[in-house]
Amino acid sequence: MYLKRPTAVQPLQLLTWDTCYFHYLVPTPMSPSSQSVSTTSDAGSQESVDGGTVGRTLQWDTDPSALQLQADSELGRRMHRLGASKIVQIDFVPKELVTYTKETQTPSAAHQSEEEEEDEESSELKASPQTDQPEEEGEAEDSKEAHPRELTEEEREQILHSEDFLVFFERSVSVVERALAEEGDIFFDYSGRDLEDKEGDMQGGSNLSFNRVFHDDHWSKHRVVTCLDWSPQYPELMVASYNSNEDAPHEPDGIALVWNMKFKKTTPEYTFHCQSSVMSVGQIVLWDNRSHRRTPVQRTPLSAAAHTHPVYCVNVVGTQNANNLITVSTDGKMCSWSLDMLSQPQESMELVYNKSKPVAVTGMAFPAGDVNNYVVGSEEGMVYSASRHGSKAGIAEMFEGHQGPVTGISCHNAVGTVDFSHLFITSSFDWTVKLWSIKHNKPLYSFEDNADYVYDVSWSPVHPALFASVDGMGRLDLWNLNNDTEVPTASVTIEGACALNRVRWASGGREVAVGDSEGRVWIYDVGELAVPHPEDWSHFARTLVEIRANRGDGEEEGAVELPA
Amino acid sequence: MEEYNSGEEVSFNADEASVSVKECIEVIIGGLDYNQNKVNQWTASIVEHSLTQLVKQGRPFKFIVNCAIMQKSGAGLHTANSCYWDTATDGSCTVRWENRTMYCVV
Repeated sequence: MYLKRPTAVQPLQLLTWDTCYFHYLVPTPMSPSSQSVSTTSDAGSQESVDGGTVGRTLQWDTDPSALQLQADSELGRRMHRLGASKIVQIDFVPKELVTYTKETQTPSAAHQSEEEEEDEESSELKASPQTDQPEEEGEAEDSKEAHPRELTEEEREQILHSEDFLVFFERSVSVVERALAEEGDIFFDYSGRDLEDKEGDMQGGSNLSFNRVFHDDHWSKHRVVTCLDWSPQYPELMVASYNSNEDAPHEPDGIALVWNMKFKKTTPEYTFHCQSSVMSVGQIVLWDNRSHRRTPVQRTPLSAAAHTHPVYCVNVVGTQNANNLITVSTDGKMCSWSLDMLSQPQESMELVYNKSKPVAVTGMAFPAGDVNNYVVGSEEGMVYSASRHGSKAGIAEMFEGHQGPVTGISCHNAVGTVDFSHLFITSSFDWTVKLWSIKHNKPLYSFEDNADYVYDVSWSPVHPALFASVDGMGRLDLWNLNNDTEVPTASVTIEGACALNRVRWASGGREVAVGDSEGRVWIYDVGELAVPHPEDWSHFARTLVEIRANRGDGEEEGAVELPA
Repeated sequence: MEEYNSGEEVSFNADEASVSVKECIEVIIGGLDYNQNKVNQWTASIVEHSLTQLVKQGRPFKFIVNCAIMQKSGAGLHTANSCYWDTATDGSCTVRWENRTMYCVV
């Protein structure tokens, strides 16, 4: 085969090959003195080029081993025999390996830059943590001590930025901070790596006494608290999610911080970042506390099958093993997700009332122990009951009563001698809190003590007649229905008087966490008021009867008994 | 600098080179798991050490050393290379090494 192609500079070019034999281009050599030299080859022929031309001719030659090129002997070089080597091939066969579903796995962008800020403090604290915790950091130490030689500057930098070191460092920083703050067991590891049970040392108090406030200048300033929750496993941990920070547009839009109640630390245990405001724009993000990353581990895609509107409410229902994540958004969609597979909802349902109006849901609650039926509050001020499965899947009944959007809804979940799980309370912009029973479509009672939007309401998990409400004037009210239904039993106005967004009881029922619009989380001890007595249940049953009796006499006419 | 006999034709001894390279790999990453932060260090050290070992053999050769470390993550990798040289004297050798978490090819 012949191929003529002029080339400019490169003397040799391997253009292609195949498995049987090699084809390559052989230039005729050009000596600087522009003499033509003829090449010999066993197979194939060649042309000699007139030395005056600048270009070269190249030709195919099929026999690699026999090709020989003679260098210009005038230059005194040795005779080289150049040939092509065998082609070396290296193959690694791909293997299937699935961990998280790939579509929902968030890209593991290098988050080195975030963790570099830890390094500034590293210089002073590095010495002490290393000596304090030899057993935990044994592995990290060993790998460093395997090279006892002097670490060069570059290697030190690499170690400082290495993930192992940062993980170890973050943990030890948190432990040292606790140690600095107070005496106590500082080695507790909340990420579940070592499981030691610790007794909480909660402080008692009088009715409603201020315990502490959580506020982080860096992260939670100027952010509205959008949601609070207590950890079911470690009762002293709570997580608060925050909305976007208007002052600092470069910071991540939504963050969630985990605070530790037990120790007097003033910084959050863990911080998580999220791109869109937490609790908005239709995506659900899942953080895994075990994987020491600050960005979400999984994120559901924005898709029509899921939510296209802000997700206002998220609930986990079910037992520890077989649980589902239920989310509801303002476009009236309820989706149920399995935590293992966030790429699409397991089931999704349009919540429409009377087959036409979609319900813009602002709050959702499940009665204790029920995973099928639930109640939702909407922007129009109606409350609906709905079920997930069954013949009546979807919206079942409508509860009228509020004149403004329903902001919070909570189902009774104190377990005791009498079952009150048909009760729920709602709070609304119409300055009231209303008590309902699933069985009636008009409220049982309306609490009208507030003078501003009531933003959230929450039943106590232990006391059957106790619930808390927060309003826009900075007031936290505790209502004990066995005491009085006209006014709250205890009330406190939080200093600063900014609107309080969320209220949640701790799982022990002794503390209340309140989130405000400035990004602060206030913890209040409830004290004696919160402790239920055995007769409280029967007392509450009597109270309910009284309430119903009063209501029957009063203005709430036309109430309909709903089929159970 | 080292002296080598420029008159002799010495051919590249691939086996000796491969033994020497394999030893270098073993020293540097033997027993370690893939670590993204250290992998740059490793490839650089492997190349450097292999090269110095090869040069120490005192042969009149130029060397090109290439090291690739790939994490065992289920992806496939396919490469090929060839050279055009003096087939009498020049040669190449490839050393493949692996452990539980990574492949190394020199």
